[in-house]
Amino acid sequence: MLKPGDVAPPFDLPCAFEGKIGHLALTSVRSEMIVLFFYPRDFSFICPTEVLGFHKAQAAFKAEHTSLVGVSVDDAETHLRWAVELGGLSYPLLADPDARVTREYGVYDDSEKVAMRATYVLDAKRNVAYAVASSINVGRSVSETLRVVRALRGGRLCPADWQPGDASAAVELK
Amino acid sequence: MAAPKPEEKRRVFERLASIREVVFGIQDGVLTTAGVLAGLSGAVNGRSQVILAALASTVAGALSMGAGAYLGTRAETEVIRSELRRAHAEVSDQPYIVQESLMEALAKEGLAREASYRVVKLLSSAPQALSSTAEEKIYGLSQGSFGNPALDGLLMGVAFLLGALVPLLPFVLIASVHAGLIAGLGATALVLFAVGYFVEGRLSDQRYPALAGARFLAIALGAAAIGYLIGLAISPLGAGS
Repeated sequence: MLKPGDVAPPFDLPCAFEGKIGHLALTSVRSEMIVLFFYPRDFSFICPTEVLGFHKAQAAFKAEHTSLVGVSVDDAETHLRWAVELGGLSYPLLADPDARVTREYGVYDDSEKVAMRATYVLDAKRNVAYAVASSINVGRSVSETLRVVRALRGGRLCPADWQPGDASAAVELK
Repeated sequence: MAAPKPEEKRRVFERLASIREVVFGIQDGVLTTAGVLAGLSGAVNGRSQVILAALASTVAGALSMGAGAYLGTRAETEVIRSELRRAHAEVSDQPYIVQESLMEALAKEGLAREASYRVVKLLSSAPQALSSTAEEKIYGLSQGSFGNPALDGLLMGVAFLLGALVPLLPFVLIASVHAGLIAGLGATALVLFAVGYFVEGRLSDQRYPALAGARFLAIALGAAAIGYLIGLAISPLGAGS
């Protein structure tokens, strides 16, 4: 798995977005930051809680100048049907059926032949700023991802459990 | 024509499931009693003593087999009930995990992933349906897995008694010990063949029911013959005492 400071591997993959199939390259994403999250499969029961969680929080991420991009090893047609099944999604789902990009990001689960539940936050230079992965059976926290994005954008040292607006937010460097 | 209701189908299956106790009881009753008659006829001089010993063995065997079937089914039922409670709790506490597992189970049975998802999603709208399907598909358990301990015990005991009568009746009715024993063993072979023929061959619609009868006879007699040969082999060990 990549670690903070690593250069994010470039990608140019088919995707499902706004009811259509298109292509999305890392270089074409213009936002300041990107939340690139990998999930195991479409048409499952844990993944939609995350996928819909990010969808519901999309406005909050947008306010932080951050784009959301989901990736799994399903093909774009399946992503399209999955997005329709979920009632539509406000961000693209990348199709990585040969798992090339998933492997480059070091989050391919060889035993299950799917992507792990992994989240990368990429900074403006498209370097990894944050990386986390969890067991396939445990869904990730969307609010924690948002908290990390806000913390990263603040450009300050943040203590444990820092929250935006905390009086003790800024820890001055001596 | 109206399709049979699920409860009726289940009752038929439950009755058929009792065939195990019947077959086991008859086979054991026939062979045990035939063995006792054959063994005692050579060792004991009095015909009435052989008959009394065989009757005592029959009653003890029927009671023992009936009690064993009762206790076995009761223990099995308790274990299954406990597992079902655990499975039910998992459905309530961790629906996502159960839904995922159920999807995997359906996909393994040939349903496409998307179709499995939709089936599980539909089932999830009725928690009881999700729970009972998960119990069956994931844990291999169902309410129909419960046997009836009393019925199983009764069937086993009665089947053992009926089976025991097969070699015993000719022995009682024919005055000559030798002829009675031959007739009893003949009846034993005939009944073992008949059980295989009807239960394995006819009830399960096999193409060659006679073959099923012969197989049943061969397995039952083969087990008895192996037991006899082992007895012969170890008999010298007791010769000195």
